[in-house]
Amino acid sequence: MRPILLSGHERALTQIKFNPDGDLLFSVSKDQQICVWFAHNGERLGTYKGHQGAIWTVDVDPTSTMIASGSADNTMRLWEIKTGRLLKTWDFPTAVKRVEFSPDGRQLLGVTEKRMGHLGTIVVVPIVLDVNAEQSDERDLTIVCDESKATVAGWSYLSKYIIAGHEDGSVSQYDAKTGDLNDNIPIHELNMQVTDLQWSPDRTYFITASKDKTAKLLAARDLELLKTYPADTPLNSACITPKKDYVILGGGQAAMDVTTTAARQGKFEARFYHKIFEDEIGRVRGHFGPLNTVAADPTGKGYASGGEDGYVRVHHFDKGYFDFILLGVLIFAASHLTEALAFEDTGLFRDKRRNAPLGASV
Amino acid sequence: MASTKPRDWADDDEADEVAVELPPPQTIQNKDGTKTTITYRLNENGQKVKTTRRIRLVTHREVVNPRVADRKTWAKFGLSEKDSVGPQPDTTSVGENIIFRLSTNWRKDTKDEAKDPNANAMKEQLKDKTVKCRICNGEHFTARCPYKDTMAPVGAEGGADVAAGMGDEPATAQGGAAGKKGSYVPPALRGDRGGAAGERMGGSKYGERDDLATLRVTNVSEMAEEGELRDMFERFGRVTRVFLAKDRDTGLAKGFAFISFADRGDAVKACAKMDGYGFKHLILRVEFAKKAQ
Repeated sequence: MRPILLSGHERALTQIKFNPDGDLLFSVSKDQQICVWFAHNGERLGTYKGHQGAIWTVDVDPTSTMIASGSADNTMRLWEIKTGRLLKTWDFPTAVKRVEFSPDGRQLLGVTEKRMGHLGTIVVVPIVLDVNAEQSDERDLTIVCDESKATVAGWSYLSKYIIAGHEDGSVSQYDAKTGDLNDNIPIHELNMQVTDLQWSPDRTYFITASKDKTAKLLAARDLELLKTYPADTPLNSACITPKKDYVILGGGQAAMDVTTTAARQGKFEARFYHKIFEDEIGRVRGHFGPLNTVAADPTGKGYASGGEDGYVRVHHFDKGYFDFILLGVLIFAASHLTEALAFEDTGLFRDKRRNAPLGASV
Repeated sequence: MASTKPRDWADDDEADEVAVELPPPQTIQNKDGTKTTITYRLNENGQKVKTTRRIRLVTHREVVNPRVADRKTWAKFGLSEKDSVGPQPDTTSVGENIIFRLSTNWRKDTKDEAKDPNANAMKEQLKDKTVKCRICNGEHFTARCPYKDTMAPVGAEGGADVAAGMGDEPATAQGGAAGKKGSYVPPALRGDRGGAAGERMGGSKYGERDDLATLRVTNVSEMAEEGELRDMFERFGRVTRVFLAKDRDTGLAKGFAFISFADRGDAVKACAKMDGYGFKHLILRVEFAKKAQ
């Protein structure tokens, strides 16, 4: 597996995102550029210029016509993917830490930072999926997080819920129509902030990464804890791979301690876990800083990771990745197979045990 | 231009250089399915450069979504506006190959990869060995010993300790070297050298010192002073040098000393008399110093 290194950024990456077709990769970093790359060969298609501060987040709409970005310059912006044209700027009192388009692309949520006397909020704005249309300034919804600020948020299936991860390690479910808080569950350790929240392809469940060194798989409907993936380092990002039942976790030594840590010690590796069996099944090294963000190609052919070191590494999986079957799966399948055979009762197994010549009773 | 005007040899003929006709690019179809293209160009010095490329065209058909295909034709913009087609070397590069094998016991696998079994065995062997100087038993390599030029190794009594005595006696060293095949023998210790004269040639600056009349005194008290030793040995004849090894940090004697006499006869006498002499609660051991190197 030969990774493609994308070095278009001068500072630490904050988020990377594939478009739904998996051919474009958007990356944002603490420098003030958004880059878009062709995922298959790492060619840079262009950059989106306009933000005046570190960019925290980017998301692409389901039709790959527009992207939204959120920045520390207190704005959320909408861009045309093809030309790099700025379509709309929404101003906020504080930085925008997370944006996400709804599954139908008609709404966009933004998570604003709690700062300067302003509480953290989740804002929903309507979007017209036409590059020439006038985008409205009004807000569909504003959810104020008075308890603990939201760090990440996303839309569940059918835009039914808004799921948010909080600074105190809890995850909450809001009604996406009314903005009412349905549920808030302390999923991660207290005051270990949720650093990432990414969806399964059908948005019925999602994975959260946290500073408490675990990633957890939760159901969107009732926030039921499905799986836990323990790691040995604070996690910054986690994603679910399509096609194969794996999850990828990214993290590493806290960014401020990086210069005093060796690459091996820093654990700057992408970790692969089996989604169902929760076993760690592999690691991919390469970054020389913590992984700030990982993203799986929606077509399942690869994944990309962005690090504190300013590099994006795009990986296209080898054949071995697709062929791998966990032993547990095999045993499970094999046990069912033998049961079935026993049920058929050919006598083959019993005779073997009695050391009778094979086929004696057949 | 050159034909209309008579040319002087000193004329700047840059203009003519441009006029040099470049051969047309050639394309040769090879038998093995590859193509060889030969192109010519001029470099910045006006020199003709021939470039030969051998190309194998492999058609890799991939069905992509028409949307994806359309996006591949998009014009670049922003900072990439002026980029040519294809990945740019300044923003895109290919990393080193990563062996990525999914496995439940990947932890064990990677460990095996990381550790060379030989290195591991060696590590095991040396686990509880500490560095020990052969000269003064200090915790450093012999080569770094501060007394290396002035003293013979401590443990080299009677040539019994072969390992430690390697450098002490050329005779044993030679024997050892000959016995151990393949181990490096410094030129000075090789058997084929030209005798004692050659041996002296590149000798150290201490090579001239007369070690024949030097005594090595061991089991010397920590509290001993060079002056006391001098007084003790002066009784047997003229002492030219007294060296008492001291610890650099504590200043205490390390327990051995060298006494050089002007006359070997005196040294023999002193050796006989002082061996077994009680000094500061310890019984001295006196013997003739062996040659260092």
